[in-house]
Amino acid sequence: MGSAALILLLICGVAFASGGMLLSWGIAKSSKNKVKDEPYECGIPTTGTSWIQFNVGYYLFALIFLIFDVELVFMYPWAVAVKKIGIGGLIEIIVFMFILFMGLLYAWRKGALKWM
Amino acid sequence: MNFDAFILMKSEMSLTLIIFFLLILKVWDGIKDNTALLHVVNFLLLINLITGFFGNTDGSLFSGMFHTNNTIYLEKNILKLGMFIISLQSFDWLKNHKHLLEFYILMLCTLLGMDFMISSNNFLMFFLGLELSSIPLAALANFDLEKRKSSESALKMILSSAFASAIMLFGISILYGVTGTLDFTEMAPLLTTSQLSILAFLFVFAGFAFKLSSVPFHLWTADVYEGAPVSVTSYLSVISKGSIVFIFITILFQLFKSYDTIWVNVLNISLLLSITIGNLFAMRQENIKRFLAFSSIAQMGYILLALTNGTQTGESAAIFFLLVYTFSNLGAFGVVALLSAETGKETISDMKGFYVNNKFASWVMAICLFSLAGIPPTAGFFAKMFLVTAGAEKGNYTVISIAVLNMVVSLYYYLRIIKAIFIDKPDTPLAKLNGSMMMKISFVICISGAIIMGFASNLFEYINTITGK
Amino acid sequence: MNEIGLSQVLFVSCALFFIGIYGFLTRRNMITMLMSVELILNSVNINFIAFNKYLFAHKLDGLFFTLFIITIAAAEASVAIAIIINLYRNYHTIDVEEVDTMKF
Repeated sequence: MGSAALILLLICGVAFASGGMLLSWGIAKSSKNKVKDEPYECGIPTTGTSWIQFNVGYYLFALIFLIFDVELVFMYPWAVAVKKIGIGGLIEIIVFMFILFMGLLYAWRKGALKWM
Repeated sequence: MNFDAFILMKSEMSLTLIIFFLLILKVWDGIKDNTALLHVVNFLLLINLITGFFGNTDGSLFSGMFHTNNTIYLEKNILKLGMFIISLQSFDWLKNHKHLLEFYILMLCTLLGMDFMISSNNFLMFFLGLELSSIPLAALANFDLEKRKSSESALKMILSSAFASAIMLFGISILYGVTGTLDFTEMAPLLTTSQLSILAFLFVFAGFAFKLSSVPFHLWTADVYEGAPVSVTSYLSVISKGSIVFIFITILFQLFKSYDTIWVNVLNISLLLSITIGNLFAMRQENIKRFLAFSSIAQMGYILLALTNGTQTGESAAIFFLLVYTFSNLGAFGVVALLSAETGKETISDMKGFYVNNKFASWVMAICLFSLAGIPPTAGFFAKMFLVTAGAEKGNYTVISIAVLNMVVSLYYYLRIIKAIFIDKPDTPLAKLNGSMMMKISFVICISGAIIMGFASNLFEYINTITGK
Repeated sequence: MNEIGLSQVLFVSCALFFIGIYGFLTRRNMITMLMSVELILNSVNINFIAFNKYLFAHKLDGLFFTLFIITIAAAEASVAIAIIINLYRNYHTIDVEEVDTMKF
C-alpha cells in the first residue's frame, strides 16, 4: 500500500485522460479549414493576433479583486467556529467586514471601479 | 464584554480611530482646504501623544500574544512624539499636495503596525505588525508619483523588504518546528543549541539586520532615502528604525537569551562593519539625504554596541539614545525638508552660505548635527557615552576602541556640512526660506530636546528603573 | 517505501526556498522577482503546515500562521505591482538593470 497505490492512481489517471483523447483522434473524422484555426470558431471574426498587450486597467481590477478575494480566507475559520464563539465573534467579523468595506468605498470614490 | 482590551490597547485604539476618521473624511470629500485639514490632523496627533502619558497599566491580552508595560508605553510615546514632529515638518510640503489624507492614513497605519509589533509577545503578532509597518512604507516612498527617483526607491524598498521578511519567516518556521510554539515566553526555555535552531536564529537575525540596515544588509538604505520624499525619509530613519530596535531588544534579550555568546559575536562583526562603512561612505556623499542615510547606518552600529551588553543597562542606553536621536535627526531632516519644499534642492553645495539669510534654521542644523556627532554640551554626547559605557561593561575593548576612533572620524563629515552652512561664501546665497509656523514649532521642539535631554539626568534614571522591572 | 514522512515534505519546502532565492538573485524582470519571493513564502507555508501536521497536531498555531502569510503575501504583491505599474509609467521598462538613477 501507500506509494504503490499512488503510482497506480497516477498511471490510471494519465491513461484515462490520454485514452479518451487518443480514441477521439483515431475515430473522429477530421476536417481542416481556415475557420477552424481561429480562437473562437463561431461569432464575430477576430482581428489581430492574441499576443497583444493588455490594458493596464485589467491589472487594477485584478489587484482590487485579489485583496478582497484573499481576505475572505479569514471567514472560513470563523464560519467553522461561529456557533461556539457566539455573538462576540459575530461582532468581530462585522468589524472586519466594515474595514474591508471602507477600503472598497475608498477605491470606489477614487474611480478605480470605473472602466478608464 | 471585557473592557481590559480597550484600556491596554488604548494607544492602538486611538490610532485606529484616527485612521478611520481620516478615511471617512477622505471618502466624504467635504473639506477642500488643505491647511484646515492639516491643522485637524496635527491636533489629533497631539491628543494622541498626550493620551499616551496617562492611565498606563501593565497587562497582557489574547492569551499572551499582546503584552504591555511601562517600558513599552515609553517606547510607544517616543514613536508618537516623532510622528508628531514629522507631521509638523511636512506641513509645507503637504499644504499643496492633493493626496494629503492618504499620506496620513498610510503613515498612521505603519505606526499602528509598529505599536502592535512592540507589544507583541508572539511571532504571529510580531509578523503582522512588522508587515503592517513595512508594506505601506513602500507605498509612501512612492509618494511623489511622477518623480523617477521616488518610484525607483519604492521598488527597491518593496522588493528587498519582501525578500528580507520572507527569509525571516523561514527562520520563524524552523523555530516553530523545533519548539512547537510561537509564544516568546514559552519558546525561550525550549531553545537548545542544536544546529537547526542556530540556523533559524541566523535567518531571523538577517531579517532584523536588514530592517535595521546594519552592514552587510544596508545596500537598500541609501537609495531609498535619497529617492523618497523628505518626510518619508525622516520617518524611515527615525521611527521605523526605532521600532525595530525596540522589538529587537525584546527578542534578543528574552527569546534568544540562551544564545547570548552567539549573538554577541554576530553583533560585534555587524556593528564594526556598520560603523566603519557608514562613516566611510558618508564622507563622500553630496546629497544630504544620502549623507544622513549613511550617518544613520553608523548610528545603528552604536546602538548595536550597547546591545552587546545583553542586560538592562544596554536596553536603557539604547532607549535613551533613540529618544535623543529622534530629536536631533528629525531636526536635521526638518531643515532639509524646509530647503526641499521651498527650493527643491537637496545637496550639500546648495547649502553654501545658508547662514546669510537663514540664521535660525542654520543654528538648528548645527545643534542637531553636533548632537548626532556627540559633541559635549548637546544630549547626543551623553547618549553616545551611555551606549559606549554599556558596551564596555562586557570588556571587549578592541571593539570599543574601534567604535570610539570612528566617532572622531565622523566629526569630519558632520563638520563639513557646518562649514558649508557657516563659512563657505557662494556668489548668490540662498534667499530667505519662509517656513510655516508649524515648521518653526518643530524646530523649537527639536533643539530644546537635543539640548535639555543632556541635562535631565533624571530621565535616564527613570528609563533605567522602568526597564529594570 | 511507506508513508510520506516529515523529511520528504521538508525537502520539498527547502528546494522551493532555494529556488526562490536563486530566482530572486538571477532574474532581472521585476514581476519575476516578485514571483520568486512568493515562492519563498510558499515554502514557509509548507514548512508550517508540515510541522503542524506531523509534530504538533494538537494545536493549530502553524495553520493560522499560514493563513496570515497567504493574505499578507497578497497584500505585498498588490502593493508591489502597483509600484511597478507606476514605475513603468516613469521609466517605460520593468527591467531592474535599467532602473539605475541612483548609485553609490
